[in-house]
Amino acid sequence: MIEVHDLIKTFGPLTALDRLSFSVLPGRVTGFLGPNGAGKTTTMRVILGLDDPTSGSALVAGRRYRDIVWPLHEVGSLLDANAAHPGRSAEDHLLSLALSNGIGRRRVRSMLELTGLAPVAAKRLRTFSLGMKQRLGIAAALLGDPPVLVFDEPVNGLDPEGVLWIRELFKALAAEGRTVFVSSHLMSEMALTADHLVIIGRGRLLVDMTTDSFVSTNARTDVLVRSPRAGELAELLTARGAGVRAEAADALGVTGLSAAEIGELAAGRGIALHELVNRRASLEQAYLDITGTTVEYRSGLPAQGEGQQ
Amino acid sequence: MSASTPSPRAAAPSLSAWVGGLLASEWTKFRSLRSTYWALLIAAVTAVGGSAALAGPSGRQGSAFDPLASIFVGWLEYPVLAVGILGVMTITSEHSTGQIRTTFAAVPQRLAVLGAKTAVLGAVVLVLGELLAFGSFFLSQALVSGGPGLSLSGAGVLRGVLAGGFTLFVIAVTGFALGVIVRHTAGAVAVLPAVVYMPLLFLALPAPWDNRVGKFTLLMAAYQATSLHPQAGLLSPAWSLVVLVAWPVTLLLIGCILVTHRDA
Repeated sequence: MIEVHDLIKTFGPLTALDRLSFSVLPGRVTGFLGPNGAGKTTTMRVILGLDDPTSGSALVAGRRYRDIVWPLHEVGSLLDANAAHPGRSAEDHLLSLALSNGIGRRRVRSMLELTGLAPVAAKRLRTFSLGMKQRLGIAAALLGDPPVLVFDEPVNGLDPEGVLWIRELFKALAAEGRTVFVSSHLMSEMALTADHLVIIGRGRLLVDMTTDSFVSTNARTDVLVRSPRAGELAELLTARGAGVRAEAADALGVTGLSAAEIGELAAGRGIALHELVNRRASLEQAYLDITGTTVEYRSGLPAQGEGQQ
Repeated sequence: MSASTPSPRAAAPSLSAWVGGLLASEWTKFRSLRSTYWALLIAAVTAVGGSAALAGPSGRQGSAFDPLASIFVGWLEYPVLAVGILGVMTITSEHSTGQIRTTFAAVPQRLAVLGAKTAVLGAVVLVLGELLAFGSFFLSQALVSGGPGLSLSGAGVLRGVLAGGFTLFVIAVTGFALGVIVRHTAGAVAVLPAVVYMPLLFLALPAPWDNRVGKFTLLMAAYQATSLHPQAGLLSPAWSLVVLVAWPVTLLLIGCILVTHRDA
């Protein structure tokens, strides 16, 4: 379990995290979403004790990360797949991490097997592709068999087979009762993997709910209607209590009435319809709408305004 | 899949297991990079080669000739830079590659990481330094057939030879501490010679200020500590050893303060 409480992190005049609070619970995959610069990586760095928060706290299993002795047994993490010395072999890299936490060479070998890196264990990391480094980072995160896992954009650089593998891995880890906290900027990816979503924008919490309820609350549905007599139809629909938005000279977005009701209504008045389509806004769109609000809100401020808190 | 269900929190390790793990980890890092071996090889070749050259007839010149210290004067060029840069790289290569974040995520007790790195680097360079010091001594004595013919049992000789090896250790740890402070390889490598060769600046001061300031520098302290006949205007060999130790210790303390307060 990870508890982030009232986290504030400023870099000079910039506020990266702005009173951020949320919890990540065990037994499910929690997706951590936000546009670039939203503060996802900063949050994870604070959780892992790499950055000090300006104020507030981040606790893992009730303790500050920096107070944990042999933390690889408690928290496995992958923040940056490139954060490894390129002159070292994969096996020596993992072994150095393992030994620092009292983990033996056998566990290193089995993690290399698990991630499919055993054949290249002796190769130096400068020869590794980004995808191979991601696998190595996951091997490192799993070294201590930890109950809590933190991954920053783990899908980057993976081929489709790798993406599928990692998705299944996260689900399996969560099913074993572990806390799995995964960041991404791709809503579509998280919709497939995450059971719970934490969405932030500009360092502030925007959404903290299950993926299912996020889908049902945010995936708007409406009906697109095209007709040469759109104006006339709009009046008719409004009179019946429908919400109508003109999208073009001949196109309406209608909420509150089903496609069948709209069709019947138009037929009753002899209005020809050229198109009648049920629309479901994608999750990606809902995500953009939510995060876009924060971006718009911020960009409306004068440039110096960002630093004034 | 990964192993099993999450294991309950591992019991806190004993202090010896914790320290032993840290040392084993840093030793694994140290031995698994080719640059380590290049630096040590360059230090060894230039140390022995320099001593042999200085022991030859052309090397034994000048009024300030000291039969012991002159063996180690040659060390102050290449071997010192080789081990100093090895010390710098021990930490700056982690910063430049991002490895440092992986390291600190595995061991958030940052001072312990610095301690383990210092121990591994220091132990290797100290052993190598002493081997080279004795090697250089015996080689140069063999070469100066008609010369002073020093024996290890002579007064101050053993101290001087041991101090020669110790100097390399001091410079390696000084380089490491500079790397901790500066974090960038190029920056730290640029500062290293400035710290080591500072007396060359102070030589421009009018006497007696050149010695009054210069005796506290690494170079002059190393010269005094390895001298058979220490110069009067400088510190005694014993106090020079204190100066030699004070440099890396002071820089390391500054590094310790910085590393605990910086974001990684």
